[in-house]
Amino acid sequence: MNHSDDTHSSEGAGLSTPVGTRRTFFHWVTVAAAGFVGMGLAVPLLGSLISPALSRRKRDWVDVGGVAELPLGRPMQLDHVTTIRDGWMETKAQKAVWAVRRSESEVQVFSPICTHLGCGYRWDDGAQKFLCPCHGSSFDVNGRVTGGPAPRPLDVLPSKVEGGRLLVMYKDFKSGLTESVEL
Amino acid sequence: MSSRLYDWFDRRLNLKPVQRTLLDEPIPGGASWIYVFGSVTLFLFLMQAATGMFLAVYYAPTPDHAYDSVRFIETEVLFGWFVRGLHHWGASAMVIAIGLHMLQTFLYGAYKPPREAMWMMGVLLFLIVMTFAFTGYLLPWDQTAYWATQVGINMVGTVPLVGDLLSRVLRGGETLGALTLSRFFAIHVLFLPAVIASGIALHLFILRRVGPAGPWTDDRASLSSETFAPRQVYMDAVVIAGVFALVAGVAYGIPLPLTDKADPSDTSFVPVPEWYFLFYYELLKYVHGPLEPLATWILPLCVILIMFFWPFIDRNPVRNPIRRPVALGSGLLFLLVVFGLLGISIKNLYAVPRADPAVARGKAVYAQFGCAGCHRIHGEGGAVAPDLSTVGDTRPDRAWHLKHFRDPQSVAPGSFMPKFPLTEQQLNDLTSYMLSLKRAT
Repeated sequence: MNHSDDTHSSEGAGLSTPVGTRRTFFHWVTVAAAGFVGMGLAVPLLGSLISPALSRRKRDWVDVGGVAELPLGRPMQLDHVTTIRDGWMETKAQKAVWAVRRSESEVQVFSPICTHLGCGYRWDDGAQKFLCPCHGSSFDVNGRVTGGPAPRPLDVLPSKVEGGRLLVMYKDFKSGLTESVEL
Repeated sequence: MSSRLYDWFDRRLNLKPVQRTLLDEPIPGGASWIYVFGSVTLFLFLMQAATGMFLAVYYAPTPDHAYDSVRFIETEVLFGWFVRGLHHWGASAMVIAIGLHMLQTFLYGAYKPPREAMWMMGVLLFLIVMTFAFTGYLLPWDQTAYWATQVGINMVGTVPLVGDLLSRVLRGGETLGALTLSRFFAIHVLFLPAVIASGIALHLFILRRVGPAGPWTDDRASLSSETFAPRQVYMDAVVIAGVFALVAGVAYGIPLPLTDKADPSDTSFVPVPEWYFLFYYELLKYVHGPLEPLATWILPLCVILIMFFWPFIDRNPVRNPIRRPVALGSGLLFLLVVFGLLGISIKNLYAVPRADPAVARGKAVYAQFGCAGCHRIHGEGGAVAPDLSTVGDTRPDRAWHLKHFRDPQSVAPGSFMPKFPLTEQQLNDLTSYMLSLKRAT
């Protein structure tokens, strides 16, 4: 900041430039104005750019069926249509979940994706296990790993029973990790 | 720190001469607040460019998604509504800044030799900015955007011989649709920015070659000069900050709601153009029939050509405005016509919403008695009785309506409209409502 000693000023006969404290004043007012405008633009512009990175996807409770139709202790695959919001687009998608009714009103719901590498598994009535066709992982009726490469139990989806209907909040999870991490 | 960094670069890049060229440009007669408008316009252009880039991050230029993506910007994106507001009001501010910049140049006779080329480049830049405004207006793809653009393109169609072809080129075919939107988008965000950037560069290049005009004194030899920095820079910066605060304040304070999504089948929608096209919109109301091309393209073309060649039309070498009565008079006349038309147009526009409350009450009476069972207004209601959409134009006589509501047979023999048990108040309100139903002005 060498404005005050910047006195190369009056070179030509008629060419002048402010020096000393006046120059310093003009300099700082200019810097302040530029800072004001710069911040006033930078904050909203960058804010708008990064905002989608900060917001979690909104999930809705989806009705996947009546609780009374679920047999006690035997997993059932329940298909439902869910609305997927992708920015300004909304699409409907078929999703499935595995639901196991534990008691009259208690239901546990599993994500239909194997925790190993993301294949879809199925329930085998004979073996009483969830079997993944891709790499042979297997899980018991409570979702615990009983064999194969799966690193963690099946992922449990948030669910609740309201007025005899089973409501589920569908989520995706990262595969291959020992902890259940939502995508 | 910053000076050490500067020195480091300076030793390698020899920056001092560049700095001198940029900042020590001589301003004849010294810095002045009257010279700020060019810088303000440049700032607003840069702000439009920046906000436009960030809006483009979310915008989708297809009829399927354009409207939803703009609504997404308005409601879901953090600061999205504010960025859109800055871009919208920044456009208006830019038109004003250009107007003041041109006015200052005109008053000071700064377009006179040797600065004719700078003026002409400026007129071209102004036309490019108006093209920006026109193409940007369509992008939200709401009713206003769609119908205003429809009208704009139809006006181009009235140009003889090439009009039809020209309007097809603009639309990308027969109808305003997907092809129109994508080409307007490409023009707005790719073609025009490239053109205007070159134009601004040329405008500034000419400025630096011929130098600023300075005051209008004849005795130029005695004028002392001042360097551009720091005082003119300071003045520019202060006004720019003020303009930014103003635009940001308006963007913050005045919401910019979208109208309904564009519906090509809804022909009842009456679009209103942006204020800076209003004077032209008003002009079109006074010229009909065979004279219409006069207003749609002959007059605008003449005005543009006169503006462009103005330095060669006004050959008076004097710059002092007091000694240029003809130039000043014609400039004043032009402004009077433009602002007169703008004033009339704004007055007409605001006359409609400022309707008297009886109209709203009358509308309620209309609903209460189920008039829509037989009558139709703007596409809503039955079709067995006359359409009332513009009954205020076709039957502007208040007494007729009052008499008609008391006893339809008395003025319309054979009418099957029943007598309704209306109170005096309801009668008056309903009549006010009928008279308010006019073709939009």
